[in-house]
Amino acid sequence: MTAEIVFRAKGLTKVYRNGALEVHALRGIDFQARKGEFIVILGPSGSGKSTFLNIVGGLDKASAGEAWFEDHQLTALDEKGLTQYRRDHVGFVFQFYNLVPSLTARENVQLVTEIARKPMSADEALALVGLSERADHFPAQLSGGEQQRVAIARAIAKNPEVLLCDEPTGALDSATGIKVLEALTQVNRAVGATTLVITHNAAIRDIADRVIRFADGRIVEESVNATKKAAAEVSW
Amino acid sequence: MVIAPLRRKVLRDLVRLWAQVLAIALVLAAGVATLILGNGAYSSLYETRSKYYEDNRFADVFADVTRAPRALLAEIEEIEGVLDAEARIVKLGLLDIDGMKEPGSVLFVSLPGNGAGLNQLYLRLGRLPDAQSAKEVVVADGFAKAHNLGPGDTLPVLMNGQRRELQITGVALSPEFIYALGPGQMMPDPRRFGIVWAPRASLEASFDLEGAFSNVVLKLAPGANPDRVIETLDRLTAPYGGVGASPRKDQISHAFLDAELKQLSAMVKVLPPIFLLVAAMLVNMTLSRLIALEREQIGLLKAIGYSSRSIAQHYVEFVVVIAFVGILIGMAAGTWLGTGMAQMYARFFSFPYLVFTRDPQIYGLAAVITLASAIGGALYAVRTVLRLPPAVAMAPPAPAVYRQRMGWFRRLLPMPQTGVMVARHLFRWPFRTASSTIGVAMAVAILVASLWSFGSINYMIDITFFRTERHDAQVVFGAPEPYRTLFAVRQMPGVLVAEPFRSVSAKISHQNLSKKLAIVGRPAGSELSRVLDADLRLMEPPAAGLILTEALADALGVRPGDLVTVEVLEGARPTVTLPVNGVSLGYVGLGAAMEIGALNRLMGESALVSGLNLKIDKAQDAAFYAAAKAAPKTEHITVTALMLGRFKETLAENITVMITVYVSLATIIAVGVVYNFSRIALSEQGRELASLRVLGFTNREVAGVLFGELAVVVLLAQPIGWLIGYGIGLAMVAAFSSDLYRVPFVMGRDVYATASLVVLAAALVSAFAIRGRINNLDMIEVLKTRE
Ligand SMILES: Nc1ncnc2c1ncn2[C@@H]1O[C@H](COP(=O)(O)OP(=O)(O)O)[C@@H](O)[C@H]1O
Ligand SMILES: [Mg+2]
Repeated sequence: MTAEIVFRAKGLTKVYRNGALEVHALRGIDFQARKGEFIVILGPSGSGKSTFLNIVGGLDKASAGEAWFEDHQLTALDEKGLTQYRRDHVGFVFQFYNLVPSLTARENVQLVTEIARKPMSADEALALVGLSERADHFPAQLSGGEQQRVAIARAIAKNPEVLLCDEPTGALDSATGIKVLEALTQVNRAVGATTLVITHNAAIRDIADRVIRFADGRIVEESVNATKKAAAEVSW
Repeated sequence: MVIAPLRRKVLRDLVRLWAQVLAIALVLAAGVATLILGNGAYSSLYETRSKYYEDNRFADVFADVTRAPRALLAEIEEIEGVLDAEARIVKLGLLDIDGMKEPGSVLFVSLPGNGAGLNQLYLRLGRLPDAQSAKEVVVADGFAKAHNLGPGDTLPVLMNGQRRELQITGVALSPEFIYALGPGQMMPDPRRFGIVWAPRASLEASFDLEGAFSNVVLKLAPGANPDRVIETLDRLTAPYGGVGASPRKDQISHAFLDAELKQLSAMVKVLPPIFLLVAAMLVNMTLSRLIALEREQIGLLKAIGYSSRSIAQHYVEFVVVIAFVGILIGMAAGTWLGTGMAQMYARFFSFPYLVFTRDPQIYGLAAVITLASAIGGALYAVRTVLRLPPAVAMAPPAPAVYRQRMGWFRRLLPMPQTGVMVARHLFRWPFRTASSTIGVAMAVAILVASLWSFGSINYMIDITFFRTERHDAQVVFGAPEPYRTLFAVRQMPGVLVAEPFRSVSAKISHQNLSKKLAIVGRPAGSELSRVLDADLRLMEPPAAGLILTEALADALGVRPGDLVTVEVLEGARPTVTLPVNGVSLGYVGLGAAMEIGALNRLMGESALVSGLNLKIDKAQDAAFYAAAKAAPKTEHITVTALMLGRFKETLAENITVMITVYVSLATIIAVGVVYNFSRIALSEQGRELASLRVLGFTNREVAGVLFGELAVVVLLAQPIGWLIGYGIGLAMVAAFSSDLYRVPFVMGRDVYATASLVVLAAALVSAFAIRGRINNLDMIEVLKTRE
């Protein structure tokens, strides 16, 4: 694979200070991701996965080191620059969906397409996750899996360069989780967004191009998948 | 004690929510303060007046005559219901102080001589004059202060046209002149009007009234009917030029105090209820949100055995503390403002003392009402706690039900999804949206209902001084003079134009209603004193018939074309029936206009004039004043510019205070409502807003969602506030109008604009106060937690 490099991180460090207490969440991460790559991030709880994802997603700032997205140095951007970066390039999916309860599925997606530069239509995005029929339902009227798929539709509707997912199946039962993962791989192929997925479930690794394992704030293992499986083939 | 941990929680909640707590407490405080201030000022004024009247034996009936023999007094004392009567000499004179260029009047009032009598003086300085002295006098306190006079000083005056140097022996106050209005004046002006009390013998000599009197005052037995007494008295005094007696309620000084009391009681009826209502709504809103947030804790407490009652009590205690903070602040502010108000009264009204009642009952009442409204608001919110079964409470709340009910609206007005969020959230909590809107509307209403009065006073000034009474000066004679006096006055220095008028005291009746007033006759084509109709069109005096001012027409219930009975109280005292030809504008007193020739014919007299309206050359005003003062027939001179100046000066003294007070009150409401509304909205939607930030919405856009909600509430409140304010204003006009004056209801666009600007500014400031909270929304935190 010789696709261009989308993400680069070098010596990325994050230290949380709680009074006298220092928590080293990241202890020097070096990382690269190519365009369109589907990367699964594994690792025990508290190993720094979310911190890492939040920094490359422009939600948090590193204590030291560098992170680049294409030619933007994320670690040098201010609050305003990070907001613009998230707005233009990043799609997020979180464990708890974070949908706006007062908006229907379609409206939740439109929330993003309205402010995006080159979005697809909301209906197209919902079709990609197989939710066309439920477009006019409010989040409260949808099941957990459906809500998460709306969140994915919302994340990809802007045609983002990067799709960041922090335990997207964490709150779902396994059957529903598969559907969500299928949706993720499908949009990864359809949109061509570089996709980073954090998960606890090692079985998910088989659908990835690459698997990265975190431990204690470091990347301790990295493996490239030569033959990647479809989500439906994965056994949980 | 089982409840102790809950008590600790009350304190912690209060500290945590201190800004919201303070905002609510201030609204409550404003209610308490206006209640205490209004009631306190009312009862202070009322009690002071009552005590003063009683201590100094203020009379119940007042009557002027031209000249009645003292023997008549015995007959008057015989009237059933009369407890005491005093025959006095009450006459106007002119000031003749060196270096005082503008004309001023003095009212001479005789002293009974034996130290008893009615309307007794409250001697502030010096002593009463010697009954035998022809020179010694006591002067009114305000007048003495304005001229820096005291016992031992001399006072040069013109009495009955003669210059006299009076000797001041004392300075005093009288219940008869608490509000000392000079002849032809609209406001007390102690520099240009003073009361001078002199021994009767001295005044008898000066005014050629030996063995006679010109005024009688009566004290009635408790329960006596003043109307019955007045009827008899009028019959007795009629042969001696009696112009009809007035009951106490029509006595000028008393009536002005009544008008002030009426305004105060109107204020007490309007302001405190507004604040208490808004506060109750705020308590309800805030507590409902607190309870929603603590739903699971409530369930837990219930599960471990706390009774619904004790949990409800916990929330009520939280509110009771807020109420107490409000009550304490309100009591302090009310007491402090009350002292200020008393000082203001001391400036306007001449009281020897002020009974500033700190009636514990008023304070108690204020506390109880305030507590009740706060607890009322709380109980409404706490109901849910009582109902909630513990198992249900511990589960997360059912998700809010939103509806897509604005399809038609969005087709008309396409809006972004953030706009849809705003709209749905507002509709989701209709009660809160409505009560916040009403709260903000009340702030607008308070301003509209108070600010209009300034515009209407300006309008009244414009109509009165620039469109109807357009003369520079008015000279009034002691008794009607022949027409040729006009030519003599025209010869005086500085007189550019002189127009005559005739003024005749009369009682005008229609059916069972009647009013006593002066009918004024003017020649057709008068320029300096005109009569205008409601549309400001000139009304020429009718050849036969009357034009009544609106106030009089309303008081008598007449319309143009009706007939009224006119009973003249002077001269030959004819009684005639006249048609009402029209209704005119007029804001000061009651008025009726006729053509001067017709009036003189009605009197059966030749061409007589009571006075002249003049246009004066400003460069020669001093010379004119001197000449007019020297003319022996002059009883008093009014100068429009001075009257207007005094009017505006008094207004300016109050306007700043009033605007400060009302703007503060409105701001307290606006800030209280907007701040609480925003904090609650933020607390409810913080998670959604943080999610928007994650999606790449800027701080400004996210703030826009919250401020959008606020903007809808605040903007919606404006027209509602205008409407409520208009209504209150209209009610106030009705409450404020009396026979003394009537307030035009002029509600200009500037009033609405000013009210809205103030409230919008207050809303903006409170919105700004939570801007920081929006900017600091923790994005990462919301991602980690389930709603
Ligand atoms: N806001 C924070 N303040 C202090 N410590 C934090 C904060 N966020 C995360 N941490 C700590 O940083 C470490 C890494 O956390 P995280 O990135 O959330 O791990 P993971 O997602 O792998 O479970 C943990 O030890 C966690 O406790
Ligand atoms: Mg994590």
